[in-house]
Amino acid sequence: MVNKISRKKKRQAKRFVGRKLVTQSNSKSSVSEQFRTLRTNINFSMPDQELKTILFTSAAQGEGKSTISANTAIVFAQAGKKVLLIDADMRKPTTHYTFNRMNATGLSNLLTRNWEIKDVIQKTDIEGLDLITSGPIPPNPAELLGSKTMDHVLEQLTGMYDLLLFDAPPVLNVTDAQILSHRCDGTIIVLHARKTEKDSVVKAKEALLSSQANIIGTVLNNFERQKDHYYNQYYGNVEAGT
Amino acid sequence: MGETISLQELFATLKKRLWLIIGTTLTAILAAIVISYFFLTPIYQASTQILVNKAEATTDFDSSDIQTNLQLINTYTVIIKSPVILSHVIESLDLGITPAALNTQLTVNSEQNSQVVSVTVQDPEPHKAVDIANTTAEVFQKEIVHLMQVDNVTILSPAMYADDPTPVRPNKRLNIAIATVIGLMAGVGIAFLLEYLDTTVKTEHDVEELLNLPLLGLISPISDREVGVGRVIKQKGVDPHGK
Repeated sequence: MVNKISRKKKRQAKRFVGRKLVTQSNSKSSVSEQFRTLRTNINFSMPDQELKTILFTSAAQGEGKSTISANTAIVFAQAGKKVLLIDADMRKPTTHYTFNRMNATGLSNLLTRNWEIKDVIQKTDIEGLDLITSGPIPPNPAELLGSKTMDHVLEQLTGMYDLLLFDAPPVLNVTDAQILSHRCDGTIIVLHARKTEKDSVVKAKEALLSSQANIIGTVLNNFERQKDHYYNQYYGNVEAGT
Repeated sequence: MGETISLQELFATLKKRLWLIIGTTLTAILAAIVISYFFLTPIYQASTQILVNKAEATTDFDSSDIQTNLQLINTYTVIIKSPVILSHVIESLDLGITPAALNTQLTVNSEQNSQVVSVTVQDPEPHKAVDIANTTAEVFQKEIVHLMQVDNVTILSPAMYADDPTPVRPNKRLNIAIATVIGLMAGVGIAFLLEYLDTTVKTEHDVEELLNLPLLGLISPISDREVGVGRVIKQKGVDPHGK
């Protein structure tokens, strides 16, 4: 019986291999260390102003926004913050897959005033990290994100959590990220090494700036470290405790 | 794009595409080997040396005689390659080709300012090359008596059959050497072309230069090993689903 369950779990783990919650499953790995470095840098990026809402976006799709926002949310939660991860991509939502949750209710329900905030928040396995999935796909995500209700929801959520992380759609495809970035304290552009086109990411930056986003920086995903790269040298014993 | 490329970047590009360069070079070498050994017909070469001199034995050699002979040689080289001689050669060896075709197989040159003329024949068959070279010399020796009323041609050294003839063409080593150079150049060319056509972001420097935004983090590809697919199952206590 036990074997059966573990085999099933193994299969599931393999199936969701596209979204890797490395910071949860293997917090000693060097990639987890990279996420902790990212956390530190986000904390230091705006010393004068507390960042309570951070948006993750990228120029095109498939550059790792969801993976990076999920892992970043986990490392912030591990640091003792009360974190809420919101899947603001109401066109191609994925966060519910990442955390293996249902997407019956979510952000779209909140914004169409069907549901209360407490009804759409889902607990995750990580202490201190809650989740709002995208909800049923609405016909007009951009209007919903730009609505007064969104302001109201944001206000309530910022009161409930230390940090809100938004997983937004790509900038160049739809306007959602621009609308949302305007409402967030900080925007982070995710780039995928050897995939993100230089031209497109420059356009994305311009688009975000034109909507008065506060771009706090970039994250370079899929960065293959050289063997002698200094980032590769974990300070301390990597294998300890595993 | 008006960006300057540093020497380091050039080497980095070459290093990155090292396998492409090695691949194209090896492919070119392989192609050269295959073509040289299996597709090109080996050509064998044989040559006969002819001495041009006055037949009557004169004791007093003077330089004018030699001069005359040297001038004659120029004439002879043309005569050897003329259809008059070549058609006789074709007839006696029963080659069944035109004199013009035979002409292309034949080279006649005089050894630098000497009275020795060498007739060199190239043919896919080594024995035939020897036969043609010798027959040409013999025919020429016979015919020249009629043509110029002089008998001053001696065959100095006839072409010999070799037990183990080596073809003069294709020059496999040269072909492989050329292929190596071409392959290497093509590889380097493709490497730089790919680098130029690749407009994606690659390094942290690219990001900072391009966007002028701080780079907050570098995230490496997350391997299955790092996610710890197997490890999660073992840690039953940590796994909230584990009952």
